[in-house]
Amino acid sequence: MRRLLARRMKFHLLGAFLVSVGCATLYKFGIAEPRKRAYAEFYKSYDPMKDFEAMKAAGVLECAPPK
Amino acid sequence: MANYSQLGFQDASSPIMEELIEFHDHALMVALAICSLVLYLLALMLSGKLSSSTVDAQEIELVWTILPAIVLIMLALPSLQILYMMDEIDEPDLTLKAIGHQWYWSYEYTDLKDLTFDSYMTPTTDLPLGHYRLLEVDHRVIVPMESSVRVIVTADDVLHSWAVPSLGVKTDAIPGRLNQTSFVASRPGIFYGQCSEICGANHSYMPIVVESAPLPYFESWSSLLSS
Repeated sequence: MRRLLARRMKFHLLGAFLVSVGCATLYKFGIAEPRKRAYAEFYKSYDPMKDFEAMKAAGVLECAPPK
Repeated sequence: MANYSQLGFQDASSPIMEELIEFHDHALMVALAICSLVLYLLALMLSGKLSSSTVDAQEIELVWTILPAIVLIMLALPSLQILYMMDEIDEPDLTLKAIGHQWYWSYEYTDLKDLTFDSYMTPTTDLPLGHYRLLEVDHRVIVPMESSVRVIVTADDVLHSWAVPSLGVKTDAIPGRLNQTSFVASRPGIFYGQCSEICGANHSYMPIVVESAPLPYFESWSSLLSS
């Protein structure tokens, strides 16, 4: 029982710190980084004119009605 | 526009909105770290595994003063960076005025030959099939894509707010005041927004629709409307 509280507190404070850093890391590499990559991948091969022509053909644009 | 069960932001259609989404991810990550720390310690305390009769502990006091200060700096730096980025308005390609009324928006393109029009919500009874209820308007705001657009926002009567979430724009429309915002539409498309300041009975029924198109189409639309 000698120094039980001190030992337990040290252990759990370290554990709490690791849990919190772990959660942050999980979020960063599970959600934030994939989202950044998704945006980069999207714009890497994005052709705005092709996208525009598809919207025009679908007839959804006011400034470019389908003929 | 947002889906009915959507929790997160709409996909970004401007570089500023991309930065804002990235910053939001960063801030949420910090919030998650703090909340998980607090929850873990709370669970420990409630299960009796963590208790103390300490009255004086200088080291831990130092730690839980310095650490939050570091966290705040980690939040403040990117936040200020984006704030200053949003305020950069150099040589916009187009300036348009958005004026809030009860309960519609009017737009003035004075760069071009005095092009002015009102934008009313399309009533549900007149809505074509496939169009979005309470979001469509009779005349959309057409802007050229990949061009810097400056919007001067004001109001005619009461407070309104011109907001388009996917462009990362929300600017209050205040009678007697001109507020300025700017955006660059990264891609062609139709971007929806709604009035974001309570303005009376039909506050929810004065949407904003921005349509971005390549420059030649914007020019042909503007010359058609100006004539």
